[in-house]
Amino acid sequence: MGPPFFSKEWAAAVGEALTAGPSPAARDAKLSEYWAFFDSIKADYPASWALGCRDLPGAPAPSYLFVQWCGGAVADCRIIGPDDPLEATYVLGMDYRDWQALHDGYDAQRTVMYRKILLEDGSLLEFFKTIYFFVEGLAVIGAVPTRF
Amino acid sequence: MTQAERESFMAIASGFHHGERQVEVELPVFMIGATEEEKLHIAAQIEDEARHTVFFDRFYREVVGMQGDDIMDILDASFPWVSETFVAPFGLLAYQADEVRRNPFDERARVRYGTTYFLWIEGVLALSVMKVTLSYARWRGFLPAYYTGFTATCRDESRHVQGGMRYLQQAVSKDPTMINEIHDTLRTILSVSGVISRRIYYEPLGWTDDEVRVLFFQQLRRKLNDVGIDLAPDIEDLLARVQPQLAGG
Repeated sequence: MGPPFFSKEWAAAVGEALTAGPSPAARDAKLSEYWAFFDSIKADYPASWALGCRDLPGAPAPSYLFVQWCGGAVADCRIIGPDDPLEATYVLGMDYRDWQALHDGYDAQRTVMYRKILLEDGSLLEFFKTIYFFVEGLAVIGAVPTRF
Repeated sequence: MTQAERESFMAIASGFHHGERQVEVELPVFMIGATEEEKLHIAAQIEDEARHTVFFDRFYREVVGMQGDDIMDILDASFPWVSETFVAPFGLLAYQADEVRRNPFDERARVRYGTTYFLWIEGVLALSVMKVTLSYARWRGFLPAYYTGFTATCRDESRHVQGGMRYLQQAVSKDPTMINEIHDTLRTILSVSGVISRRIYYEPLGWTDDEVRVLFFQQLRRKLNDVGIDLAPDIEDLLARVQPQLAGG
């Protein structure tokens, strides 16, 4: 259990988890050069993500988890409602059931590859230059305890 | 087969197993904005890719011994052999397919999609790496049904690549600025293709990393020659850092 999904508390926990990065177990499962690439991206990543839930129950859709990266850490992580201004480098959207599946352990790479999460706004080619960083970030978000 | 041979073979075959599925499901949107002649070719290719997906499904059931109720069960079972970096070309293709779905007559988006699908995934990755398992099966005298079926698959892929290169060549011929779309797509692909998340050993199958890398370079040069374009100097630099990715279509 954890704070409610798409709550202020959950967003704060996500921000801390993203700043901390992948777990030691996740790091052990892949080559050090992969993580060197990941760390080099993370150190200078200047972009922001708005990760949407298109059909969040009980909320006017869509709502977004806004993540601003700066200096290798998450500088801002909060929930943006449908009436708030949506300004992010990359805006992505995913259905509630797919968010739930991600938290239940569905693979983050396949979440992208199977188009469960989709880029709605932002440069596609620039986004994919840092795709491993994004996928690992998505896996970290999926591991943050939350209540659906 | 030795354990090392089996592990190397599984790593490569799993890339194809998932790659065939991906190129099958991401191709239909490309047909919307195509000419009538191209639509005939694409329709036939979708059928080919579906057969390739079934071929690998049967290989994993009947040869490897995986069990499942449906195609996705077998894909789930082979996925642990797929490298984490697989998402770069195939996630890009999925997102470019979505871009084409939203704007099916956007010729620039179609050229970017075609660069990832036909030039890189089919023309470079698939046509290079398929030689590894085929030559191994022939050299060792193993897996005769795989050899026969995958040889037929490769003939299909060669035809798809020819069609794809013709499409890109005509797109550049009609509008020379389309070369920028091809170059920009290759910049993205090559900027992440030098990264590996797990070590795949080609040696048990009779190849070295350098030999596979040479195959990549040869295929890329040939495909660029077919399209009638060169690489920009900065892309040449990126190319020098590329690792052989285990994936195909």
